[in-house]
Amino acid sequence: MGSTAAAFTYLWPEIIVALTGGLILIADLIWPAPAGDGRSRAWLAYLGVAGLLAAAMATVPDIGVTKTLFGGIIVVDSLSAFFSFLFLGIGALTLLLSVHAVPKFTRWIAEFYALVVWCTLGHMLLASTGELFTIFITLQLTSLPLIVLIGYAKLDPKSGEAALKYLLLVLVSTAVLIYGMSLVYGSLGTSTISEIGAKLATSHDIGTVLAIGLVLLLTGFAFKITAAPFHYWVPDTYEGAPTPVTAFMSVGSKFAGFALALRIIVEGLKVPLNWHLIFGVMAALSMTVGNLGAIRQTNIKRMLAYSGIAQAGYLLVGVAALSSAGVASVLFYAVAYALANLAAFGVVITVANATGSTEIKSYAGLAKRAPLVGLACAIALLSLGGLPLMAGFMAKFYVFLSAARSGLVWLVAIGVVNSVISLYYYLRVIYEVYVREGETESLFVDRPAALAMSLCIAGVLALGVFPDYALRAANFAASALFR
Amino acid sequence: MVTQQMLLAATIVLPLVGGVALSFIPKARASLARPCALVLSGIVLAIAAWLWASFDGSLAGIHYELKVPWIAGLGTSFHIGVDGLSLPLLFLTALLTFVAVIASRSIKDRERQYFTLMLMLEAGLCGVFVALDLILFYLFWEVVLIPMYFLISIWGGPRRSYAAVKFFLYTLAGSLAMLGGIIALYLATGAKTFDMLEVALLASHLTAGIQTAIFAAIAVGLAVKVPIFPLHTWLPDAHVEAPTAVSVLLAGVLLKMGGYGFLRLGPEMLPKGFSAAAPVIAVLAVISIVYGAALALVQTDLKRLVAYSSVSHMGYVMLGIAAGTAASVTGATVQMFSHGLIAGLLFLLVGAVYERAHTREISAFGGIAKIAPVLAGTLVFASFASLGLPGMSGFVGEFMVLAGSLQRFTGLTVVAAAAVILTVSYLLWMLRRVTFGPLNQARLGMADMTASEALSMAPLCVLIVVVGVFPETLVGVMHASVNAIASVLGH
Repeated sequence: MGSTAAAFTYLWPEIIVALTGGLILIADLIWPAPAGDGRSRAWLAYLGVAGLLAAAMATVPDIGVTKTLFGGIIVVDSLSAFFSFLFLGIGALTLLLSVHAVPKFTRWIAEFYALVVWCTLGHMLLASTGELFTIFITLQLTSLPLIVLIGYAKLDPKSGEAALKYLLLVLVSTAVLIYGMSLVYGSLGTSTISEIGAKLATSHDIGTVLAIGLVLLLTGFAFKITAAPFHYWVPDTYEGAPTPVTAFMSVGSKFAGFALALRIIVEGLKVPLNWHLIFGVMAALSMTVGNLGAIRQTNIKRMLAYSGIAQAGYLLVGVAALSSAGVASVLFYAVAYALANLAAFGVVITVANATGSTEIKSYAGLAKRAPLVGLACAIALLSLGGLPLMAGFMAKFYVFLSAARSGLVWLVAIGVVNSVISLYYYLRVIYEVYVREGETESLFVDRPAALAMSLCIAGVLALGVFPDYALRAANFAASALFR
Repeated sequence: MVTQQMLLAATIVLPLVGGVALSFIPKARASLARPCALVLSGIVLAIAAWLWASFDGSLAGIHYELKVPWIAGLGTSFHIGVDGLSLPLLFLTALLTFVAVIASRSIKDRERQYFTLMLMLEAGLCGVFVALDLILFYLFWEVVLIPMYFLISIWGGPRRSYAAVKFFLYTLAGSLAMLGGIIALYLATGAKTFDMLEVALLASHLTAGIQTAIFAAIAVGLAVKVPIFPLHTWLPDAHVEAPTAVSVLLAGVLLKMGGYGFLRLGPEMLPKGFSAAAPVIAVLAVISIVYGAALALVQTDLKRLVAYSSVSHMGYVMLGIAAGTAASVTGATVQMFSHGLIAGLLFLLVGAVYERAHTREISAFGGIAKIAPVLAGTLVFASFASLGLPGMSGFVGEFMVLAGSLQRFTGLTVVAAAAVILTVSYLLWMLRRVTFGPLNQARLGMADMTASEALSMAPLCVLIVVVGVFPETLVGVMHASVNAIASVLGH
């Protein structure tokens, strides 16, 4: 381990992101907006995007590195690099989607962008923390900006309600988490994850207290990744939050939970519990509850919220495989889901900007009002449903394959049945978009959102047709966990 | 030969790329979409015809094989090629798409999208028939669903939304079962490859129990598509609600994906599983034959009648495949080709009749031979072809299936042969009520066949007779492939 100063060189990406957030606020102070002109703040979002891209460049040298910094508090490896790219991408796409949406509900635009950037910082750090109490602090770094972002539309009572619900959720899940941490720390006398793993591997007798501690830890993460039965907060929060924030947390905050959970799970596996069954049941429950819930929804944000619960279930299928290939499939799925879901939310934002509605009914005739947006909507939803030539198919295929390899045939069967159910409600939206007649007046699509959607759709198709590079990257990142 | 490999790949790439390009035609020139689609599908048809002409049916194995690395991490590659079983179906796809484009003259609403989807459908169908990699096969299999869903749900009849979703979810559920089977096959061989030829070498050594379980999962997906009783209920709805040209492709080509899948994934890959399942398939096939025909007998809607007749006719295909003798498999493949032509023709005729009368109720017609002799004559021709009149393609297929199956499933074959009486009944009864008898006054002034309709139907009529009179043109290409299957199964 090098000196502290040398250790900081591995943190350049995080430092750049932290500075970017500050820079946005300072720039806003120096060049204030002309009164009442929210649109003129677009360049602040672009500044944020530039900062995140710079951070992504700075992450490149971390690929293939395995470094433990500050006595095990921070772990820099290919897995953290993989997640950093993912979170930076999600942050940048969210900023692009926000440019025209944010001025509609607030005057404090620069602060919104800065919070998104800092929240991204929290996500990145979560993917590379290697110690329980750092995890606790880093979680607050993501949760607090998110609570503010969810309640950002001050004049909309639903937004406030959603923020309060999320606050309560954070309190409960944090309490569960910290209780679990204290039990683990009390049993083993260490809070560093790698040392926990080492002690678990050598001790023959695992006490009840420790097992409870580990389960509580995982419960805390289950809230974050919106897995059933810890999902009750999701629909209301997703519906109430401003749409760009919903888009952001539907992928960012969910994968931060996964990034964190994966590190702990790999070490926790050494405890002789039936982890296949624990994650398998959670996966089956999430898929089923999410998909059945989504069928009944008439509001697209609520539908995507339930679909997100189901998608967390598919991701957990990969986790339940408990293998390097399983983790790799989760990583690939995360990228595929992020691209498709952000594209879908791009459509939701575009429609809401123009019509003010998030009801599925208001999508009637969208394909005629804005053909490319309609196409993006169809591709995004079909990818979420797992149809071929789109990233979603490869992702589901890879997840199911790795689960079947681990002998979880029953889980694959449940996943397959769920895929059919999910297409039912995705098709319902596509039916509105393409088949039902609606308004015919053409719909305004702003450039930054169009750019974000195009990038997502290009990614969905590229990953669907040529998944090889991404699969290799995912396998490489996953292998960092199974050294 | 490099050129022919490239041409084979072009049957997928050309409609796909060309189809996407079509959607970029400016709105003001939207009427250009159909001519462009016609040219594209014409080129594909020419390619398929050329591949057929240069095909040597006496050589066993895969012809025009092309293998390009694709997803190395999964052990899957872009591996295509044709043999005697897939080549006729590839040609059928190209022909019927070309015919369907001609028959889509009345499509005026969103025509660019319509033809884009139709060409994407063609690409998917060609892909299914030439794929030699399990993942590639599954990919194309599923890709077919997407344009089909849109074609039915946007341009279909009054209950199109219900029909399209039912079609989509039924087939999707089936194909996911198939995907499960494919994954199981991949894991069971342990060779980390999805290449059909390599998997076939390894999988045929698996135990009978494993083979049967895997084949059962795959067969569910295939059976939905065929469709075999009791998985057929999506078919009448989808066929009735789809626009004419789409019904042609649905009945003409999509159903053959199932039959072809049984031949491609069954005997040579999982011989023990296939043999174990064969009696079950044969029983269900005969039920489909009788049940489909019986239901066709009581239909009052012309299009529904043709739809149920498809269920019945595909039953013969499945009986022939299940019997697994050289004659029966040849018969099944001929029957698939022939049914593609005949069902395509019948759906074109029903579409033509509907366009004039705006109804498909059989009781709303009568005596149309008096005012539209060519149209009525073609309907009579198509019906006779369908009921298996010697000299037409339907006879060759059904006769070979029955003759080939007799030694394997004697009782069932006798029932299947007897069911021909039902087929004759519903077709002749339909003809009597629609074309002959006193002229229904509501049909007064019904126009006869137009030139464009004649153009779309003529190639089908010609081929029905050619295959009927010179069956060797079709049977010749499949000798080697069929013998390979029969020898694996030991019949």
